[in-house]
Amino acid sequence: STTWHPPPEVTRIMVNHRVEKAKRECVVWAIALLSSGTVVSADSFGRVQFWDWQQGTLAESHTVSSSAALSLAVSEKEDSIVVGTSTGATYQLQLLPVKLGGLEKRWVRTKPFQYHSHDVRAVAHSPSALISGGTTLVIRPLMEKVQKKGYDAVLRKFTFPHRRLVSCARKARLLLFQFSQHLELWRLGSTEETGKDGEVLPLCRMPEHLVQLKSKGPEHIYCSCVSPCGTWLGYSTASRFHLYRVRCDGDGVSLRKVPKVPKLLPPAYQLQFSADSDSLFVASARGSVHVLQLLEPGGCKLLHIACGCSEAVYLLAPSADGHWLAAVSGDWAIHVYNLKCFKHHCVVPTYNCAVSALAIHPSTNNLVIAYSDQQLVEFSIPEKQYTGWSRALQSRGLHRAWLERDSPITHITFNPKNPAHILLHDTYLLCVLDKSLPLPDDSTLLMNQSTLKQLPETARKRQLHAFKICKKFQPLLFMDLLDENCLVVVERPIMDFKTQLPMPVQQKKFGT
Amino acid sequence: KMGRRSAPRACGGSALRRVFPLRYLLCASGDFVKVYSVSTEETLRLMGGHADLVTGIQLNPHNHMQLYSSSLDGTIKLWDFMDGIPIKTFTVGSKLLALYAPASAEDSVFVVIPKKGERDTFQLVSVKLAKGAGQDLEAKELSVVLDGVGASMKHIAFGREGEYVVSVKDVNLQVYFFKRKLLNRFSLSTLKTKGGDNNFSCVVCHPTEDCIATGHADGKIRLWRNFHHRKEYTYSTLHWHHDIVMDLAFSVEGTRLLSGGVESVLVQWHNESSCQKDFLPRLGSPIEYISMSSDGALCCTLHTDNRITIINSNLRFSRSIQGLIKSRDVKTGLVVDPRTKALVLNGEPGHLQFYSLQSDQQLFSLDIVQRQYIHQAGLKQSDLVKVAFSARGTWLATVEESEEVTDPELQLKLWFYNEETQSFKLNTRINSPHDNHITDMCFRDMNELEEDSLILVTTGRDCVFKVWVMVEDTDPEGNVSWSCDFVGSYHNYQATNCCFSEDGSLLAVSFEETVTVWDSLTWDLKCTFCHPPGNIRNICFGRQTCSKYLIGATDYGFLCCWNLLTCALEWSAHLNVVVLQPDPLSEHIAAVSWLSKESSLFVFKPNEPRPIYIQRNLCKEKILLAAFVPRDEPEIISSEKYYWLRRSQLFFLTDTQELMTLSTKSLEERLTPSSKQLAVEESLPVTPFSLLLGKHRRQQAQEDTELGKPVVHNKQEQASPAVKELLHTPAHVLPSASFLCTIFINSLLISKENKSAEEIADEVEVESEKAEDDSDEEDVTEMEQEDTSHTELLGEMTCKLSKSQEKELRKIRKTDYSWISAF
Repeated sequence: STTWHPPPEVTRIMVNHRVEKAKRECVVWAIALLSSGTVVSADSFGRVQFWDWQQGTLAESHTVSSSAALSLAVSEKEDSIVVGTSTGATYQLQLLPVKLGGLEKRWVRTKPFQYHSHDVRAVAHSPSALISGGTTLVIRPLMEKVQKKGYDAVLRKFTFPHRRLVSCARKARLLLFQFSQHLELWRLGSTEETGKDGEVLPLCRMPEHLVQLKSKGPEHIYCSCVSPCGTWLGYSTASRFHLYRVRCDGDGVSLRKVPKVPKLLPPAYQLQFSADSDSLFVASARGSVHVLQLLEPGGCKLLHIACGCSEAVYLLAPSADGHWLAAVSGDWAIHVYNLKCFKHHCVVPTYNCAVSALAIHPSTNNLVIAYSDQQLVEFSIPEKQYTGWSRALQSRGLHRAWLERDSPITHITFNPKNPAHILLHDTYLLCVLDKSLPLPDDSTLLMNQSTLKQLPETARKRQLHAFKICKKFQPLLFMDLLDENCLVVVERPIMDFKTQLPMPVQQKKFGT
Repeated sequence: KMGRRSAPRACGGSALRRVFPLRYLLCASGDFVKVYSVSTEETLRLMGGHADLVTGIQLNPHNHMQLYSSSLDGTIKLWDFMDGIPIKTFTVGSKLLALYAPASAEDSVFVVIPKKGERDTFQLVSVKLAKGAGQDLEAKELSVVLDGVGASMKHIAFGREGEYVVSVKDVNLQVYFFKRKLLNRFSLSTLKTKGGDNNFSCVVCHPTEDCIATGHADGKIRLWRNFHHRKEYTYSTLHWHHDIVMDLAFSVEGTRLLSGGVESVLVQWHNESSCQKDFLPRLGSPIEYISMSSDGALCCTLHTDNRITIINSNLRFSRSIQGLIKSRDVKTGLVVDPRTKALVLNGEPGHLQFYSLQSDQQLFSLDIVQRQYIHQAGLKQSDLVKVAFSARGTWLATVEESEEVTDPELQLKLWFYNEETQSFKLNTRINSPHDNHITDMCFRDMNELEEDSLILVTTGRDCVFKVWVMVEDTDPEGNVSWSCDFVGSYHNYQATNCCFSEDGSLLAVSFEETVTVWDSLTWDLKCTFCHPPGNIRNICFGRQTCSKYLIGATDYGFLCCWNLLTCALEWSAHLNVVVLQPDPLSEHIAAVSWLSKESSLFVFKPNEPRPIYIQRNLCKEKILLAAFVPRDEPEIISSEKYYWLRRSQLFFLTDTQELMTLSTKSLEERLTPSSKQLAVEESLPVTPFSLLLGKHRRQQAQEDTELGKPVVHNKQEQASPAVKELLHTPAHVLPSASFLCTIFINSLLISKENKSAEEIADEVEVESEKAEDDSDEEDVTEMEQEDTSHTELLGEMTCKLSKSQEKELRKIRKTDYSWISAF
């Protein structure tokens, strides 16, 4: 991370000045600038050093670790610093008074935390928590700043990004997996047999890895999407947007790059094909949505640029009838566009929380929105207002167990057979929200599926509530309905990628 | 009264704390406070007066020449440690477990006392030290500062400028701020996960900052800051020790923190950073206490084996002060080295220590096991278990075994004393001399006139005794080595003890319930004795006129004396004998019994069943070992009762490893010489003052030669009487400085009148003679009375002073100054 400050002149600070003898190169991995004019640096010798910005002299040096210090973050009050190191440990430095009631203060290394096995590449300091990110993201509340013990005082760990990394071509039964630098296209296997609940059915066709698409250059893939019909595939990196035409000839699959893709202002934060695979919506970082028309046999043209969002658009939801498009921008405003006449339709009342997923109901054109604080809202696009069910849900409030979940809803879909069903999932659970059933209150059990199974039919009816939750698949990356009878679920066992990680930094542990 | 038990000479494990004022090291040791010279390691003074264990010593923060000490006897004493004089005694009443004297407290000190009515609950109280005229004062003005504190002095520390006090106990830390009257409590988790144990072991405070360092049972050190906030307190952790942190100490500036523990490594942490640390390893034994000198130039560590190590500020070993090393277990028994008359017993792990009783110092330490000792609990390591010397000390036999119970790894080593190198050299090593533990070992104790007569006998639990003899090697150099000559057994009983008769012709070996007597020439079994029921615990032959008797003690509480000529029991007595020790220089045998929590001593001659000396309730501790140490010259003993102690001195070692001796003199007699010691002028370090003094002395000596007098080499004579007076008079009876100043200055001037110098010299001589005369009859109580009378006398004199001060001083001097020399 870098901190920008307009300097009147360039002051060069030689950080490795004192360790030249060591003959190791010192790399400054992170710096921060305090309002007092002190530059804080974190270097590969594991030091956190405080420099006078104008003189370039060293004020204090703290060796926090024997391995490299990689990241730095300063609290808003500038009385605490969090440092991430390559051993996966984070350290807190605090500005503490030397004497009780005295004015002199000194930076003191206080608490060490070890929540990561590998590099801590990024850290952040919120008023009440230390946030560190490496292979996982950890939010460590500072107990002394948390007012009451409870949900806020719990350490939270996130292994998966709160974004959709899998897209599904329902009609073609294809799945597109997005990795950091490549894409994989798979054809789902199928079975012709039926069985009872919990039974594993034999496959008549094995799942098939169709193609692997490597992105060019060192850039990470930002977003990707496969069209519902399975013939179009697009992805975007930080600088470029790519569109491919997928051709299935027999068993083989060939990818052909679509030429003359309109030059878009990069980067694209989200790609979404329309339900009929006729057009592609590209959410841009500049707050606009580009509508591209896809042409047979392999071309495209820019149809329209929908404006109105003041910040980058990061989520898109087209309606099944191709009439509406909902776009969420970085300021958490949800804009709804009319695609028939390319007009801005309305803005959903802004809520003070990030939108984690949204989808438009295929038959009612109700927009279902999930917020990161686990609130759920249903907004009628044609009527430009919250639905009655949504108001009832708001007034009654959601179940406490639902609200205290760690992981936000990342995908919403609907059951074509039953319009009252909304299917939601996060990393740890899959939920069928049945609008026709009563809402649960805090006294009832939220996850009651297993208890319901043991009850007789009549008693079961009385106990039913709207949230039908399944925790069978963990960690759950993706869930979608292929057709009326078929649900696809993507699990990603943690061990799968833990084994692929490089060895952690060697550390001598006493007694081993 | 005569014959009181002497105080422990050396003791380990009691509360000890050292304070450095400049160049003295003060240490609480048993009931005494010892004063060592840092530069020479000598014990300068032994300050006695407390009736029980001294639990804390602290320099008087307002006068660094004075020392406070607290004791379990309920008193706080203020000492002038330069002269070893108790200045004041404050009686508090209840047991005092720790003492603190922060500089901020004007006229009070802090002590830890047991809480009334509650067992094992202690409180920190401040004691107001009354300002009275007398020497013995009551200190009844107590106010409780903290409740529920730990009983150890390491559990409480006073913060920067005495603003707060910290106490740790179990997993709780409490800080009390005196000015704000605020008490903060912090607790750590009691869960012991991943080998962690948060229990506090010690606490110290940073000298200049608000920072508390605590040591923990799992080896962690925590540095607490911001502890005036109940919520926003914070701490950082330093972790190197793998076991409990025994003590911590900050440097004077607070930039360095020293820690020590079981590892016997002193760790120095810089700037509270876990990455910058230095080590001083191989300190020999676990560190118990760490102390810093007031100027920061030295630090010292006190070890569990009763040794003090002095360490430079750059973490270099400087010197060590060691008396009797406390070992984990004295398995070798108390053995006297015939050569040096030193007491020989287990020392450092795997070492044999030679302890000089005269100088209270270790002569040397002999590495027997010769293996690296790892300071970690629960490891089975080899240790020395048996040791024996030949009569003239030329041969030393040692047995070492590993701590495995079932299959001990045994080694018998024979060492020959090399006159050139003045040390023992390994001659023969015998692996597995017995198949099971060796129970006893002895040399044939003839005066080694013929080398052939030297044989060694070992007895083992493998039911045999073995005889080892020297054989000449085949190599041309004609070296000797030891090999087994005879293996004897008796009905497959375990052999437990062995000993030779004085002339070496007979060997007695006890096999469980039976004592067998063997001819040492032919190895024929001569006769057997037993006194069922009960196994034989100890056996010994009578000596000199009583050499026809064999004494044995059974574990059924019988002491038996068998006549070897008649092969019959001569007499037996019902006595639970723990120790049976014959005096090598007389026919006396000492037996120590242990019954109902007290040890008693019986001294008898085998030819008379009546003991010649009985001392019941010798001490409360169990006496495990005893040894007669021959005196250099037979002592003239007036009392008939102690006649048996004429040629040897008897020493005991208790289960707490206190070494005791039986004194023939009364307590008063013994205390007198120590209180008569003069000022520390001989061991004074080189300071400007001592240079001035030295110059002065030289001058005087020169004057003497000029006068045509022979130079007297007595230092006392050389010093000017005025200066001597100044130095030798206890501080609390000296007249005011302004009064003494002129005399002192005058004495420094080069006198033109030779006559006056002569006069002074004469006078001093007369005085010193007189003093000697007096001191013989003097005892402590009388002396104290004299002290007070002189103070009054001096007070009157100062009122009258108006004319020539020098004349006045003469008058004073002519009165009576005999008591001065007493100090």
